Amino acid sequence: MMATAQTTQEKENEDWSLLPLVHDIIKCMDKDSQDVHQELAKLKSKIQEAREQISNMPGIDCSPQEQQQQLCTLREQVRTKNQLLHKYKGLCMFDVPKAS
Amino acid sequence: MATAAEKSTKERLVSVLDDLEVLSRELIEMLALSRTQKLPQPGEDVQILEVLVQRDREFQELMAVAQSQGKLHEEMQRLEKEVEKRDSDIQQLQKQLKEAEHILATAVYQAKEKLKSIDKARKGSVLSEELIKYAHRISASNAVCAPLNWVPGDPRRPYPTDLEMRSGMLGLMANLPSNGVNGHLPGDALAAGRLPDVLTPHYPWQSSDVSVGMLPPHHGSDLGLEPPGHNKENEEDVENMSTDSSSSSSDSD
Repeated sequence: MMATAQTTQEKENEDWSLLPLVHDIIKCMDKDSQDVHQELAKLKSKIQEAREQISNMPGIDCSPQEQQQQLCTLREQVRTKNQLLHKYKGLCMFDVPKAS
Repeated sequence: MATAAEKSTKERLVSVLDDLEVLSRELIEMLALSRTQKLPQPGEDVQILEVLVQRDREFQELMAVAQSQGKLHEEMQRLEKEVEKRDSDIQQLQKQLKEAEHILATAVYQAKEKLKSIDKARKGSVLSEELIKYAHRISASNAVCAPLNWVPGDPRRPYPTDLEMRSGMLGLMANLPSNGVNGHLPGDALAAGRLPDVLTPHYPWQSSDVSVGMLPPHHGSDLGLEPPGHNKENEEDVENMSTDSSSSSSDSD
């Protein structure tokens, strides 16, 4: 299962590689094929798709280090607030004496 | 100056993608040119290719980093929601504590006021028998309740009438003339013996014991403490109540 996940990850990484497209273009140029323009268009659309993907990806407006810092801060906030609530809700209540 | 570590992942990705675009275009143009003419710098295409490969690898690594950042971003959003919920819980608790504080402050204030009243009452305590005695004396003059045999038309009033005032010590001291009556002689003034007999009216509700001119004069010299009217009965009641300690309803401290 881990191997499958790793393979999937590698596949996703390879999907973003532009080298196969460049290789196809060079091959077409070597063969003097008319598909050169088609391959060039593919490369352009791939680059444009990558740009759109980048602009839509969440959480990449900061560096990984900054994001880690923000995550630690949030976790600390949650811990502190939980502690505070637990403390005040667990305060000793007034003991109402029973009527004799 | 912003270093590579401080740049956001998005900026780095865009930068690398731009490089990739430029490098791939240069490589393709160079290869197309090399078919027709000799390259001015041989080996340049290899160099460009190497840089292109390097940039491509960098781009793939950055995309992997971006994906992991995306997952962390989801975790951060979940934590932010939790923080918001905790904030609202804290605000709710704060409101409740404020309310409890207000209620307690009011209760403490009222309790303190009550304690002050208790202290004050203890300092100025009066014997219950004295109070009952005075109550009897006050009510004996029929000022708080009409006499049992009072009917509409009875000239008696719960307050001193004009004639009574003139017949009293102040009136006598001022030598005010006492006018004839039109039947507005209260029984108490009559019983006090302050009026001449000729002015005594005849009323059907007067008891047979109280006949004209047969009323004994008032013996007491004090004016306020011995109200006329049903004095003897009331006095007996008062004395009985005064001496009978078991009848006291409350103990004065």
